[in-house]
Amino acid sequence: MAQYRKRSWTFYVLATFFILFVLFLYGPMLAIYILSFQGPTGGLTFPLNGVSLHWFGALFEQQRTGDFAGSFTRSILLAFLVMICTVTFSVMAGLAFRRRFFGSTAIFYMAVASLVMPGLFLSLGIGLIFRVIDVPTNWYVSALGAQLTWTLPFGLLIMFAVLSRFNRSYEEAARDLGATNRQTLQYIVLPILFPGLIAVALFGFTLSYDEFPRTLLTVGPGNTLPLEIYAMTTTVTSPALYALGTVTTVVSFAAIILSLGSIAIIQWRRGGRFRK
Amino acid sequence: MKVPSSIVPYIQVAPLALILLVFFGIPLVTVVVVSFFDYVNFQTVPAFMLYNYEEVFTSGLTITLYLTMLKYSVIVWLITLFIGFNVAYFLVFHVQSLLWKIFLFLVCTVPFWTSNIIRMISWIPVLGRNGLVNQMLISLGLIDEPLDFLLFSDFSVIVAYVHLFTLFMVVTLFNSMARIDPAILEAAVDAGASRWQVITQIVIPLTKTGIALGSIFVVTLVMGDFFVVKIMSGGQSSSAVYAMWNEISMLQYPSAAASAVILLIVVVLMVVAILRVVDVRKELSG
Amino acid sequence: MAQIGGIELANVTKQFGDTLAIDSVSMIVPPGTYCCLLGPSGCGKTTLLRMIAGHDEPTAGDVLIDGQSVLGLPPAKRGTAMMFQSYALFPHLTCLDNVAFNLKVRGVAKAERRKQAHEMLDRVQMDGFADRVPAELSGGQQQRIALARSLITNPKVLLLDEPLSALDEFLRLQMRGNLRQMQKEFGITFVHVTHTQMEAIAVAELVIVMDHGQIDQADSARGVYDTPHTTYVARFIGGQNVLGGKVVRVESGAALLEDARGNRFTVPSGDPAPDTGETRYLSIRRDWIEMEKLADPSATHSDAVNSVVGKVWMTEYQGTWVKVSITLPDGEEFVANINDGTFFANPAREGDTVVARWSAEAVHSLEHRESSFDTSRGGMQA
Repeated sequence: MAQYRKRSWTFYVLATFFILFVLFLYGPMLAIYILSFQGPTGGLTFPLNGVSLHWFGALFEQQRTGDFAGSFTRSILLAFLVMICTVTFSVMAGLAFRRRFFGSTAIFYMAVASLVMPGLFLSLGIGLIFRVIDVPTNWYVSALGAQLTWTLPFGLLIMFAVLSRFNRSYEEAARDLGATNRQTLQYIVLPILFPGLIAVALFGFTLSYDEFPRTLLTVGPGNTLPLEIYAMTTTVTSPALYALGTVTTVVSFAAIILSLGSIAIIQWRRGGRFRK
Repeated sequence: MKVPSSIVPYIQVAPLALILLVFFGIPLVTVVVVSFFDYVNFQTVPAFMLYNYEEVFTSGLTITLYLTMLKYSVIVWLITLFIGFNVAYFLVFHVQSLLWKIFLFLVCTVPFWTSNIIRMISWIPVLGRNGLVNQMLISLGLIDEPLDFLLFSDFSVIVAYVHLFTLFMVVTLFNSMARIDPAILEAAVDAGASRWQVITQIVIPLTKTGIALGSIFVVTLVMGDFFVVKIMSGGQSSSAVYAMWNEISMLQYPSAAASAVILLIVVVLMVVAILRVVDVRKELSG
Repeated sequence: MAQIGGIELANVTKQFGDTLAIDSVSMIVPPGTYCCLLGPSGCGKTTLLRMIAGHDEPTAGDVLIDGQSVLGLPPAKRGTAMMFQSYALFPHLTCLDNVAFNLKVRGVAKAERRKQAHEMLDRVQMDGFADRVPAELSGGQQQRIALARSLITNPKVLLLDEPLSALDEFLRLQMRGNLRQMQKEFGITFVHVTHTQMEAIAVAELVIVMDHGQIDQADSARGVYDTPHTTYVARFIGGQNVLGGKVVRVESGAALLEDARGNRFTVPSGDPAPDTGETRYLSIRRDWIEMEKLADPSATHSDAVNSVVGKVWMTEYQGTWVKVSITLPDGEEFVANINDGTFFANPAREGDTVVARWSAEAVHSLEHRESSFDTSRGGMQA
């Protein structure tokens, strides 16, 4: 674009705006990561009183900060379960939606409604149902279901975006070359869609790992990590809270780097063309 | 075994549809039904009465609550729209290299995949009485006393909301703008349009669906918020959802259900209002 | 090499909802023929191709390959292979794996399929690219990989859907020749779908001109160019001027026509001879026309038989000839391709009034056919 290639003044204004936005986005998070390395005598604000891993150690002292290890394990396991279900079911549904079938519109709208539904509403509803059928709520059934009402619609929308760029002639070409339906899916469709599947997995994992309101009334006796952190915000007034935040974020970042890294590698291998 | 191809889509969509039905459809109905029930001494009693709704509507507290939430929604919506539009515009039309574009877009979206609660509490050491902002302002000699309105106030609530939800505007607007052929903007400039006219006549009309989708996300997220108001206002204000949580803690399920139904109606009305202005169906299904 | 891959379509009809895409088409493509399906977009040529390939099934009628009905058979069991528009090379597989894909799904052992795929890559001169992925190849290279991937299935019939449309002009000419060579080498039938007249004429032994889901003419390349059967084919293929007029009289095997302006032309009367007053159409090849400037700029018709008068509105120099476009008084366009030496001896300029003449032997009688095809954008270029 000739006009913009000259780097007009708007470029510099917007670039500054963008940098400020990024600072706004990351600055505070950076602050708590740094503060989590606060020395044993340090407090909730700057300056740092020495540098230590003291507050990370404090996380494992049961009485002080609640059940960190238990909730952490629970959250990771749940996130993996949600991720697997989200990838499998939204890919299947995404493939189904490529054809018109009876009820497709209804299911689509149900998914969208589920996405914008206030989380605690569902949490309450699911909690009530489990009371009615007299089954105790637990993280691996009721909380799993509650989180899926949030991750499946996301997965489905991502699949729509991914499949809208998928050229159907790949499948026809595979069939033309003698592949069965299963072979076409296994050797052609899934591998080509693989970067999209990783994106769905990333959403499934992180959305579950950080989910709060839907889990609140459905998780049963043991907390997940976000619930634990929420409880801590009112009871813990030490940098241990920040240490917990840092640990949580490390897991999130590991998931993000792993997913985006593998997508980048795959796209690079397919000819260095990064397609958004 | 050969499966007739006409039923394949039903098999493929079944798990998703079933989960949504069991964990979304049935709970939705349950909450609506329970909202008409009675409760006596922490026991929920099947009945059909409108008392729970009367109670919510006649309580001045509820009205204040919703007005506060509406105020937050509108302010947050305007701010996120402004930021989202400028950030997306910069990324789409000013960043030339595709790799940079993707990298900077990811920089904007990475926080989405991290914990909301952590991102929210990260404002406490920044905005607090002894926080970074106050320390900085004092050391610069701009103020003598720490500013108190920074944390546990409307200000910090809005900052936290904007921090949490701007991403949704950035992503949806980025998607819409990325679909605009840059040649169209060039053509508009050639036809004599000013920079401002290009934005109002070309970019905004072509990003309407993105604006609408982003607005739906931001508005429903603010209205459905649980803890931001509670924590960032230092307990002074409460959100509609938090009020519901209080009723749940007191085992007043029918009353909580009624609050939930009203909240849902308010949210749905807001979404419908947005959809009346812009039809987003094309964007969603395409 | 014995030639294989004869195709026969018998009253094939294809309906998509309410639209009739193919209207009872019958045709025969002899084994080992290079056949082009030619027509404007939406004429049904790709649908016809997909029904031969087995990616669509006809609503009615039968498709036979080497005398056997292939209806209901999956693509791979028909002995056909399809090369898709823009090739549909699998982006995640190397060239070698793309070519070996058919062997892989048939369960051929890895070493064996790699060996065969290398041989096939060698035949299309692409063995050096075995480990590249499609995105790293140019359009022409991708086309060769696609060709190799199709040919490794040992098809009797290769179906090519707009195989040259993704290439630039220069490569298109080169690959066109390559395709023709490959077809000869393999001795199988090629069915090549295109909307470019020149492409069809250049490569095909059999050109099938289609419109509105029907076949207008199936003929040799020279046949459709030189002796079009209908006004539609004459206009679509280009290279011809189409004129019409009412029969004034019939004598000694020729009918005399007169158009609304009073121009008169003769046309072979055919058998049975037309009645007086009937409307008849004829075509005259653009390169068999003589042109002369007229002194009287207001002339609107010529008294001589087999001539028309009009104004030159554009001349285009084409190297060995000059394309002169003449507007007739009723607004119709008439084109004369004049040898460049003859033209420049006494050049006509835009706006000049000219008379265009031809001999009775240059005329060819046409059947009239209404068509969606718009003559103003069609016609063979250059």
